[in-house]
Amino acid sequence: MGEVQKGLFSVIEKLKGTTEQELRIVLLGLDNAGKTTLLKQLASEDVNTITPTQGFNIKSVSCDGMKLNVWDIGGQRKIRPFWKKYLENTDLLIYVIDSADKKRFEETGLELSELIDEENLKGVPLLIFANKQDLATASPASEIAEGLNLHTYRDREWQIQACSAVDGEGVQDGMNWIINNIVKKK
Amino acid sequence: MADDGEWMLESIAGYLSSPDWIIPIADFTENNCSVFDDEDENKLTYTEIHQRYKQLVERLLDNYMQEVGITEEQFLEASSALTVNKTLQAVFQPVLATHDFQMFRSLMVQKNMELQLQALHVIKERNGGLPECLTDGVDVMSELEKKEMNILQEVLRRSKEEYELEKADRIQEKDETASTSSSLSEALLGTACDSVNGINGTSQENELKEYGVLKTSPPSCERKTLPALRPPVKGSGPADHMTSEILSDCDSSRRLTDEEGLQQRTEYLKQQRDKLHALKRDQTLKTPTERAPVAPDPRHHTQEISVEEKKKLQKRKHLAEKLKEEVIKK
Repeated sequence: MGEVQKGLFSVIEKLKGTTEQELRIVLLGLDNAGKTTLLKQLASEDVNTITPTQGFNIKSVSCDGMKLNVWDIGGQRKIRPFWKKYLENTDLLIYVIDSADKKRFEETGLELSELIDEENLKGVPLLIFANKQDLATASPASEIAEGLNLHTYRDREWQIQACSAVDGEGVQDGMNWIINNIVKKK
Repeated sequence: MADDGEWMLESIAGYLSSPDWIIPIADFTENNCSVFDDEDENKLTYTEIHQRYKQLVERLLDNYMQEVGITEEQFLEASSALTVNKTLQAVFQPVLATHDFQMFRSLMVQKNMELQLQALHVIKERNGGLPECLTDGVDVMSELEKKEMNILQEVLRRSKEEYELEKADRIQEKDETASTSSSLSEALLGTACDSVNGINGTSQENELKEYGVLKTSPPSCERKTLPALRPPVKGSGPADHMTSEILSDCDSSRRLTDEEGLQQRTEYLKQQRDKLHALKRDQTLKTPTERAPVAPDPRHHTQEISVEEKKKLQKRKHLAEKLKEEVIKK
């Protein structure tokens, strides 16, 4: 049955008649990290009316002739167990961190390491946004990278990008990395 | 091979249009669509439902392939040909929805809206109109509020009745105390009432106040039970007039209420009434002199409300019609 699904998938791709290739991107991170704000920023939507996500949001962004389907799933503790239901067929994991929330660096690190161990995310490239750089108390991206032991990740491509989702600073740089490292390799 | 492909394509398309396929798929969407709204954010349950949908489609297709005796490869090859045929593509949409969450979601949202419209239609056909809670536009009025409104109407109705009784009593009293001038005062009262008829400004608050005021005179009620007194014939004139109005009012309010909830409501009402009783008794103890002059006023308020209510109802019906048109056009 699994094979049918795989096969069907290719048929469906053809049936849709989309010349565009699609990329499935999952956007994760603790609650209040700024995932939905980042998503809306990517989709060029208003970022001033965002409330805590109870479920998930999906936005499709066209980028370099490719359609990026970005899935933003709520980060509250009670929702996190559901994350793994969204990891299948993922092409890229974007992990968002609130750089000013030092008290929860450990917690966010734990969640990330658990994700990295997920079978469905094996070898899946990782882009980390060190968000909220507009806040005075934000830690620099390099410090966060060190705290997360990112240099020990050898089974996948990864990148950490400082940004401020609210004003869009640094978001495009992250997208450029996606284009250069994933879209162009597809 | 080309012939084979064509035959298979027809068979697949035939299956996707047959009750074997359509009924279970329709059952699934109808049973699960109620949670799908058109909010931007998706609920976590959508994913779970989508998962079950995938399983259903998989199972159906598996059965079909076994029955017809074709392999997955053949099936896929034949299906690929569907890309060319636009009409067949539509038939294939429920299959595509297994791998396209957004498409699945829009299918479900659409189904949900369809069912809601159907429900509206049925309600309208059955009752000849939409209940107040639906004509109000979007469901602004919750079930609870609706109940409260009914209760309020019931309270108002009873207050009228009570007022009626009290009025009769007052007339008796007057008759007793000033038997010679009773007819004159009666007539005066009557014309006064008529002249105030046109005054607006009724509010539920007023009504409640009135109700409270009416409840202030339990002593007069008691007096009525005295065997020696008999209501004068003249006094019953205006009272009759009032009761007929009350009756018509009652009718309209009854139509709105459903039989089942009536029992409950009366219970609740009694409690409310008792509370008002207590409250009013306290007040009257403090200001017993105010009672008499305030009493005649409220009666006209009660007459006004029926007219106003009718206007409101008319407005709401109009609104509902408009709304429905918009939704259907959409």
